[in-house]
Amino acid sequence: MDLLWQTAVNASYAASYMALIAVGLVMIFGVMGVINFAHGELYMVGAYCVVFLYAQESFPFLLAVAAGLVFVGMVGLVMERTMFRPLRDNPLAGLIASIGFLLILQTLAVFGFGRRMGHVPPSTQGKLEILGAVLTYQRLFVIVAAVLLLAALWTFLRRSKFGRALRACAQDAEAASLQGISMNQTARIAMFIGAALAGVAGALTAPLVSPTPYIGHSIIVTAFIIIIVGGVGSLEGAVIAAVLYAFVHTFVTTFFDGVIANIVGLALMLAVLVVRPTGLFGAKERA
Amino acid sequence: MSRKSLHRKISRRKFLGTSAAAGAALAATGTGLPRVSFADSHTIKIGFLAPLTGPVAAWGKPGLDGCLIWADWVNAKGGVSIGGQSYNIEFVGYDNEYDVAKARTGATKLIKEDGVKFIMMLGGDTWAGAQPVAEREGMLFSTLLPSDLSPDSTTLVAPCEVHPIYNVTGVEWLAENKPELKTAAMCAQDDALGKPSVATYLAAFEAAGIEMVDAPLFFDPATTDFAPVMTRLMAGNPDILCLDTCYADYVHPLCEQAFQQGYQGQIISCTADFYQNIIEKTSEEFMEGFIFQFPDFDDPALNSEEINFVNPNEFYAEYANRYGASAWGAVSWEYASIMDLWADAATRAGSAEPAAVLEAMKADGTGKHAFGTADWWGTELFGIDNALVGNWPVVAIEGGKARIKAFKSIPAWWDQHKDLMIKHMTDLGQMWDQQG
Repeated sequence: MDLLWQTAVNASYAASYMALIAVGLVMIFGVMGVINFAHGELYMVGAYCVVFLYAQESFPFLLAVAAGLVFVGMVGLVMERTMFRPLRDNPLAGLIASIGFLLILQTLAVFGFGRRMGHVPPSTQGKLEILGAVLTYQRLFVIVAAVLLLAALWTFLRRSKFGRALRACAQDAEAASLQGISMNQTARIAMFIGAALAGVAGALTAPLVSPTPYIGHSIIVTAFIIIIVGGVGSLEGAVIAAVLYAFVHTFVTTFFDGVIANIVGLALMLAVLVVRPTGLFGAKERA
Repeated sequence: MSRKSLHRKISRRKFLGTSAAAGAALAATGTGLPRVSFADSHTIKIGFLAPLTGPVAAWGKPGLDGCLIWADWVNAKGGVSIGGQSYNIEFVGYDNEYDVAKARTGATKLIKEDGVKFIMMLGGDTWAGAQPVAEREGMLFSTLLPSDLSPDSTTLVAPCEVHPIYNVTGVEWLAENKPELKTAAMCAQDDALGKPSVATYLAAFEAAGIEMVDAPLFFDPATTDFAPVMTRLMAGNPDILCLDTCYADYVHPLCEQAFQQGYQGQIISCTADFYQNIIEKTSEEFMEGFIFQFPDFDDPALNSEEINFVNPNEFYAEYANRYGASAWGAVSWEYASIMDLWADAATRAGSAEPAAVLEAMKADGTGKHAFGTADWWGTELFGIDNALVGNWPVVAIEGGKARIKAFKSIPAWWDQHKDLMIKHMTDLGQMWDQQG
């Protein structure tokens, strides 16, 4: 029973940071129609913000996380203005540009921090025990932050003027434009939010992983599986798929093997595509 | 001839064009000025083909850093004497990123363009890329992973690290000094470094009478969250957690997870690179007694007469001075120690040519390994006697510092338990004749 609970706790943490990353990726695709291959590197930049501000410069951890969120959001704005906006009519070019940008970010990280993994001491070594399962505060931060941020995003999209504009653009950009909604402005907002979510995920998890300039590789693969399962363009689908994938992957890793877990994760994606080619929520809802 | 007529006959454009053509012709025919300068003719280039970036960089880049110290020291003393002539040593690095295709490209580039006389590799997955080049060119290569050895690769030697065979010494030491430890659980990344190491630990545990509470858990090398892995390992309440030959990127979070999930038993690992950072993430008490195989070279035990590595304490001090003490890792000294062997063999051969150096290196069946005189060995396990095997240190963290606890003999273990090793290597498809 302890093993089951511990695995469920582990999966909850994994689902939290995966949801943040996947929702950010969906935001960018849904509004801008661009597949941002550099999304994993935005996660990496967020992690290095914590390496620099918290581990090296001794700023408070939460301040470093907040700085990571804002900084990576700003990086997203730069990407939107310099790459995705000029290439708006050519999604393939945007994709290729994002691949180039990820290489730039990796190289900058190597120049700035070296090739070795960044060392981030834990901000706290406290932990909770829930029915025999251990949940460290460090992991609890990630879960709580994910719930709060995703709830805030949902509220923003449903209740605010800008949120409605984003959803309108995601549904039909041309019609939204004819209604007077600025494509540039909505793209900026989507890019900032999408990048910031990846950045905050990287910042929050930095003490729990070993940040390297190349950590984005494994992150982006998982994120793509999740958004395909959830339905490309669906925020709700991304969250549910992140939870589903995290639980399946974590339980299979714990009870079978980490390699088998990857195979099962890909099989899950294939199964969903066979049964519902648009993903779990792809056809019904978009952003 | 008037100046005007000269100008008309040989314009600037024609002069430059003619000069360029002449230069190209001279270069093509090999006549004219010497192709290499006087200084270059007294320099021998050595290739360093290893991961300098990426997740495996911790077993490449620190080695190149150590080699640069080695070269500075050797060159400052006049270089390596070969055939009555002193030669400076220059290292040419190529980052293969632990990628097979890049290893092949790098091997070709180092031989064809840079003219190196010897290439040092980490090996593992990347040896498959360099192997055809080595066979075609007859180039002498070294690997840190003797599981790369096979009778088909006659110019590949493993003269320093006998990974993963030396891992038996850590388990043997544990069994002798902590006989109360009876059970173990193990995890490893699913790759060419992890699998032979798993087979070795399985053999060592079986030889020591330590029971595995579960089958080894393999995880994908792209794994970033190690909580599920540690949860599974701890589920059987093992006395010993074995982290196999996990990369530093995995050892750190695995230890952190063990600490956070409340593990209080013994941990053994092949490496504990940058262990100060692990202590910072866990605690000094938690890491007390952690067993691994790679000493800090400021260890007083390395000053004994049997040790062949030149000035280990000074080397460590210089390394710490240049790169920081926390940058010291498992391979920081290894490639440099291979260079000691190479330089000794080249001096005795009177030549830097690969075939001559290899012949001199293996001339009497023994070699000056960093940790003492060792034998060229390996036919039963690798199909060829190209691994230099002797004693290997067992290291424990005590009071936050790595200290050598003992030097144990690998051949002595092998003589008693080779059947176990061959059985487990075979079961995991790691024998030389099972590798495609």
